[in-house]
Amino acid sequence: MTGEFGANLMEDRGVTRITPRQESNERIGSVLVVGSGIGGMQASLDLANSGLLVHMINDEPSIGGTMSRLDKTFPTGDCAMCMISPRMVESSRHPNIKMHTMSRVVSVTGVEGNFTVTLEQKARYVDPERCTGCGACEPECPTKVSNFFNQGLDKRKAIYALFPQAVPNTRAIDPAHCLYLTKQVCRKCEKVCDAKAINFEDRDKQFEVKVGSIVLTPGLKTYQPEIRQELGYGRLKNVVTSLQFERLLSASGPCSGVVTRPSDGKHPKRLAWVQCVGSRNAHNANPWCSSVCCMYAAKQSIIAKEHDKEVQPTIFYMELRAFGKDFDKYIDKAKRDAGVIYKRAMISEIVEDPQTKNLLVHSVGEDGKMVHEEFDMVILSIGFEPRSDAAEFSKIFGIDTDTYGFAKTSKLRPVETSKRGIYVAGTYQGPKDIPETVIQGSGAAAGAMALLGDRRGTEVTKVVLPDEKDVTADEARVGVIVCHCGTNIAGTVDVKRVAEAALKQPGVAHAETIIYACAPDGQKKIRDLIADKNLNRIVVASCTPRTHSPLFQDTIREVGLNKFLFELADIREQCSWCHMHDNENATKKAIEIVNMMVAKTKRLLPVTSASVGVTHNALIVGGGIAGMTSALSLSEQGYGVHLVERADSLGGLLNNVRANLEGDDVQAFLAETKRKVEEDPAITVHLGATVDKVDGFVGNFVTTLTSGQSVNHGALIVATGGSEYAPVEYGYNESEKVITQRELEHMLSEKGPENNKCYVMIQCIGSREEPNNYCSRICCQDALKNSIAIKEKAPDAQVVVLYRDMRSYGLKEDYYRKARDLGVLFFLYTPDDKPRVEPAGDKIKVTFAGKVLNREMAVDADYVVLSTGLRPQPDGDEFAKKFKLTCNIDGFLLEAHVKLRPVDFPSEGFFLAGLAHAPKNLEETIGQAQAAAGRAGALLSHESLTVSGVISKHNRDICMSCLACVKKCPFGAPFIDEDGKVSHNEVKCTGCGICAATCPAKAYQVNYFRDDQLLAMIDSATAMNDEL
Amino acid sequence: MVIDTEKIEEPKSPEKPQEIPADWQANILAFACHYCAFAAADLAGVMRLKYPPNVKVVRLPCTGKLDHIYILRAFERGIDGVFAAG
Repeated sequence: MTGEFGANLMEDRGVTRITPRQESNERIGSVLVVGSGIGGMQASLDLANSGLLVHMINDEPSIGGTMSRLDKTFPTGDCAMCMISPRMVESSRHPNIKMHTMSRVVSVTGVEGNFTVTLEQKARYVDPERCTGCGACEPECPTKVSNFFNQGLDKRKAIYALFPQAVPNTRAIDPAHCLYLTKQVCRKCEKVCDAKAINFEDRDKQFEVKVGSIVLTPGLKTYQPEIRQELGYGRLKNVVTSLQFERLLSASGPCSGVVTRPSDGKHPKRLAWVQCVGSRNAHNANPWCSSVCCMYAAKQSIIAKEHDKEVQPTIFYMELRAFGKDFDKYIDKAKRDAGVIYKRAMISEIVEDPQTKNLLVHSVGEDGKMVHEEFDMVILSIGFEPRSDAAEFSKIFGIDTDTYGFAKTSKLRPVETSKRGIYVAGTYQGPKDIPETVIQGSGAAAGAMALLGDRRGTEVTKVVLPDEKDVTADEARVGVIVCHCGTNIAGTVDVKRVAEAALKQPGVAHAETIIYACAPDGQKKIRDLIADKNLNRIVVASCTPRTHSPLFQDTIREVGLNKFLFELADIREQCSWCHMHDNENATKKAIEIVNMMVAKTKRLLPVTSASVGVTHNALIVGGGIAGMTSALSLSEQGYGVHLVERADSLGGLLNNVRANLEGDDVQAFLAETKRKVEEDPAITVHLGATVDKVDGFVGNFVTTLTSGQSVNHGALIVATGGSEYAPVEYGYNESEKVITQRELEHMLSEKGPENNKCYVMIQCIGSREEPNNYCSRICCQDALKNSIAIKEKAPDAQVVVLYRDMRSYGLKEDYYRKARDLGVLFFLYTPDDKPRVEPAGDKIKVTFAGKVLNREMAVDADYVVLSTGLRPQPDGDEFAKKFKLTCNIDGFLLEAHVKLRPVDFPSEGFFLAGLAHAPKNLEETIGQAQAAAGRAGALLSHESLTVSGVISKHNRDICMSCLACVKKCPFGAPFIDEDGKVSHNEVKCTGCGICAATCPAKAYQVNYFRDDQLLAMIDSATAMNDEL
Repeated sequence: MVIDTEKIEEPKSPEKPQEIPADWQANILAFACHYCAFAAADLAGVMRLKYPPNVKVVRLPCTGKLDHIYILRAFERGIDGVFAAG
């Protein structure tokens, strides 16, 4: 097995792997991704990295979707834009991704493997080839338009960028408001655009693309709360939606992050959130739960409190659905740190005080009496719904939807639509949060990769570059190009003076100014200058290296200069734009910045990137449904798999489950999955074995199993699962009538429910309380599943559910409603007043506080059913240590990033799926397993992996092996070698330079950030410069 | 124990404090992580936020790369303030 899949073809660098076995010439090695929010970008990047060509389309002028509108994200409080912006830049620069903004799909023909898609692209009226994104046009435009991105809270111009960090950075003209396009007057933007990018002759156009598969990630629409008149939205100024509040909190929003209320611009102190606006309301809104509102309300209240200590947040809610990993802890933080007052109440009306514009919120208190509370501002936690064009959308692609308009999928195949070859991810499949969307994005990509595995590399173009010139021995001849950026820089900074000053610096051979360095003619000029003036290092003084360095690095590489013989001096974002109208000082600062960069650049050395081969198979630890799903997906993609299971049979915890909430036959599905795994020649199953030792690094692991066998593999998926809690509460061990939901499930399927019997279920057994203070996520679903099973077959049976919060999130809310309609009784209990269970003859008496009636209630139960939670593997800690992984406080494995890398580990080549990550249901486990297979597959598709050039270089000759680096490196790159001294594994190095700063012997130098280069910058910044 | 407050003096510095000239501007050097603080400095520009021009940024791959020698070198050469952000 290892020999067949372990081909290690180092010389085939950059060539993507063509899988044997699957031979079909009709299949096209490209994929259409419809929607470019976080889910669409994830799918596109995974597909593109696996060697497929991606057409990524969206209908807005920028990619980014809903996440780009968010300020922070729960439960970590990370900045949304800081996370999504690098993804946007990466998507736009990926050679295998073709971005089509302002586009939509008109029609689709063909079948799985070979679709023809007709796209319509709206006229942008700005030529992306010429536009440099300088933004000089915007201030000139006289037309102000309500800013859709900021939820109508401020105005933008008719020529606009969707948001400051928009990708592509090309402005668009709004034809509905542009004076020229509506009334044939103005053209001011055209006059001010030195790049000649404005094109009023632009027209909508249609074109065709041919693709092998389609991934749908169109995203969501938010509920329009104007419909709910009693809440006053649209009528009362200080009632805003949660998305508007998100923009108010955002530092790049309409009030720069200083929250002000719309009526008078004052800072609101008393803030109220109203939950479930437009959600969980089958009568006059959407029946489903939107899944994220409980958490984002907690987040917004915490952030609002961080902004202003005097803020007092109150959240009016129906049920607190903090069902995700570490969510309950975040709610605790909101209560403890932000002092959020949680009130379980539905709001009947919001009334405005006509003088102060304050708001009176009417609700019913816990004692049943009406309460009127005054607030400065009210935020409506609006939910998700399918986009308004969802019905037409499903017709275009020929896929089925559910009754609400969400894409229909099986719970056992969560990313497959009803049409073969078309996959779905994100909120179009049902309400979900960011990591769940990212997981489905990778899962959908895995589906397309399996379909088109043999077509990898067929549609992408390979760039041929000239050999690099060796300049190491040559004296530095630095060329300095100072960009006007239209008037963006030149309007404030005297660019000519900057170029003249640069020319006087030692090592500078040439300096000149240029109107737009990044425009195609500007880049040609740079290439010509390198040849004509025999330059061997380049400084461009223009905008930020974060977005523009790669462009200029490619430019100089095209004429044979190493990419790292280049630096960008940021004199726009960090000079002209911040020091407008202070021209003299801005010019001085620009000169200093450029001189600092010259000082660094003349010391720059070429940096080469090494590459390592890849073993094209994966090791999966854990033979439950997560491990088996990953194994089958990887095998379909064309890779070999070693599946290790420590028990004597496959199946894991799912062996004990009969059905899911939606009624699928789980045992039949499990049996079929096991059969496929066992019959698959590409999958080697190792039963009764586990991992003894892992050596190596990404692409080249060598793992020894406890059976003594050694396995070579390129990727590793940890799907080690969890365990079910064995309860001790409520006399479980004393009475046969006290059972768990799992035992009830078996009883119901073996002998069925009995009429006239009484079943009392108690939720949150062993969950949401110290020492296991987390939600097990599945127990509410289990209770609903069994309640419905009882009432459907035995309508006269009595079912009582004692709960803390019914967490039937997303579309599972349907089953909560169905259970209530069937007559299941739900009663609230609180952890400080738990139900009491005592034997009473042949019955069991259950006593609990009746909150609504305000008196104690008692039920004589035939069965008390305990909804027990999930636990991590008992030996999880030990396992984690073996793999150098970390666990959260509850013992679940910690992913690389809670939001954007939910199936990756920080160590490259390690992936995660299933209960080992956190409690989740079957559908979510399958989804995550497919995602892990997609991520691993994209990695395994490479013949070789290129190691980043900007890494730390270790000099063993001066290293004293003091181990300071070994202790400090977060990535485990330095290690104690066989000779007892420190060595450095460059494959694991990310170039952060912590080792270099720590090393007392200065045995480490980071490429491109060497000490001599940085010290030269410091010396330049502190040089006495008489000319300034 | 009674402390004789009169005996407590400012520690004597070998340098004599000098008059600060009216037009004096501090020379400040910022060390910023490429991924966060440098991005924040860029965003300040995109949003046209104003701040005094007497600060220049040295981009680092991570604030963890900030070596003591950089700070010492900057002060040794007469910098007035160092700002580390990341």
